[in-house]
Amino acid sequence: MEDKLLDFIREEFLDDPDQEIDIDTKLISGGLIDSFSLVSLQSYIEEEFGKKIPAPRITAESFDSIRQMVDIIKQF
Amino acid sequence: MIALEYFGILIAGLALYWAIPHNRLRLSVLSALSLLFIWLLDPMSALVVIGLSGYTFIFGGIIHRHRDKPGWHTAAVLGILLLLVFFKYLGMLSGISDAFYLFLENLPNFSLHRLFLPLGISYITFKHISYLTDIKWGMISPGRFDDFLLYSSFFTIYLAGPIERYERFAPQLETAAKPIRQDWHEGSRRIAIGLFKKLVIADWLAYFLAPIWKSPEAYSAWQALAALFAYAFVIYYDFAGYSDIAIGASRLFGIRIMENFDRPYLAGNISQFWRRWHISLSDWIRDYLFFPLSRLSKRKVWNIFWVPVIAMALCGLWHGADSRYLVWGIWHGLGLSALQIYLQLKRKAAAGSKKRLNSLLKWIGMPTTLFFVFFGWLSFRAFGLALALRIFGDPQALTLIPVIFILLIFLQDTLQKSSVLLAKLSWRLEYTIYTLILTMILYSAVHSDFIYAGF
Repeated sequence: MEDKLLDFIREEFLDDPDQEIDIDTKLISGGLIDSFSLVSLQSYIEEEFGKKIPAPRITAESFDSIRQMVDIIKQF
Repeated sequence: MIALEYFGILIAGLALYWAIPHNRLRLSVLSALSLLFIWLLDPMSALVVIGLSGYTFIFGGIIHRHRDKPGWHTAAVLGILLLLVFFKYLGMLSGISDAFYLFLENLPNFSLHRLFLPLGISYITFKHISYLTDIKWGMISPGRFDDFLLYSSFFTIYLAGPIERYERFAPQLETAAKPIRQDWHEGSRRIAIGLFKKLVIADWLAYFLAPIWKSPEAYSAWQALAALFAYAFVIYYDFAGYSDIAIGASRLFGIRIMENFDRPYLAGNISQFWRRWHISLSDWIRDYLFFPLSRLSKRKVWNIFWVPVIAMALCGLWHGADSRYLVWGIWHGLGLSALQIYLQLKRKAAAGSKKRLNSLLKWIGMPTTLFFVFFGWLSFRAFGLALALRIFGDPQALTLIPVIFILLIFLQDTLQKSSVLLAKLSWRLEYTIYTLILTMILYSAVHSDFIYAGF
């Protein structure tokens, strides 16, 4: 799950796809992805993992790193 | 006038709340006092709160039991929206169509002028829609009716928010711990800061600038520009001051309410502005409008243009049934859309020029956002063309912009830190300041209302 999310975020959102990121990189607070991108991320998670994450759970605080995303995905 | 009822109920409520040893009884008293507060302001509004709370709570239970049937949620939310449209927007709709207006006027025993606008209707309906939707999404369970009634009517945040979520509010009632000394300190500090923002900054600025807002043609372009910029700070300190009071008053009862502002005029772009301005409303728009609308289609023009424009147009209309709010909302929607287009282009930009472009935009992002937001207030406050023409009629006036900009940012940043400074004072000095501010209330509060309580 972590690898798929890493690949998706690298390809879809990063200005520089070669930029080094890992599962603890602060993506939203670090300015790497913007709030508009979160909608695409929500759709991707639903299509790829079959989990619909409610919008209030997708915030800068709770969805800031891939590790946090995986934790939230596992709750649903 | 509202201030008298608010602080009267606050003092009576605190005396009872701190004296009652039994947790659930304490919460019941708080519910009763909250309904009494609304009743004192407008008895019909109290009946609307009780009726609507019953309706939403019953539907909440049904949605929880039948989560596989989304029709229940749709029907329940439609019912709440119909109520909102009936009370708040019927007048606007009738204004658009004279025929519709005449039709309604001619119905037996019906007059639009007799329709009343229940207090806080915009806030309570948004709270109830989030409650029903969170149940549908499996985030919360219905809980107890008395908790839900308190969530709906809690007087400290009833009139103008923050639009708190049930998910954060209800667990605090379950423990219902008696407030501790720290709650008292934090709460009273926030109230003092809020009163200062409202009575000293917002009201005084508004007092001095009202003549320019009223007849800008009688003043120089520089003065008109300064008056527009100052309005941006009047509305900020008025509403942020109210939010501080609401958050502080809630804390006195041991209840923590979400923050509503985070130095919005220091935002680096318009998206950041909306994460810092009226946070409880912008979060609501994001969660219950922006996300669901975005998922309706994958077409880029829909997601980049139409979704922000529609969501923000509705956000504008939420403030009132008036075209000026609609224009203001569309203005912000277009701003968000332009930002999204820029971000898309940035990703496609050549790697070499990207760093230079990023660095340039970082510097101009904040002033650009600030001016974008400030000129949006032209429509929101309905200053009209007179003020705009007065400003742009004399290009020399625009040279004043950097000076005003620096002064106001300095003021905003200083006040943001005032909470930290107050915390460092001795308790004697701190309470002396509170007493001075309380004295000011006696002179000012009776004649002072909050801008956002009108929504």
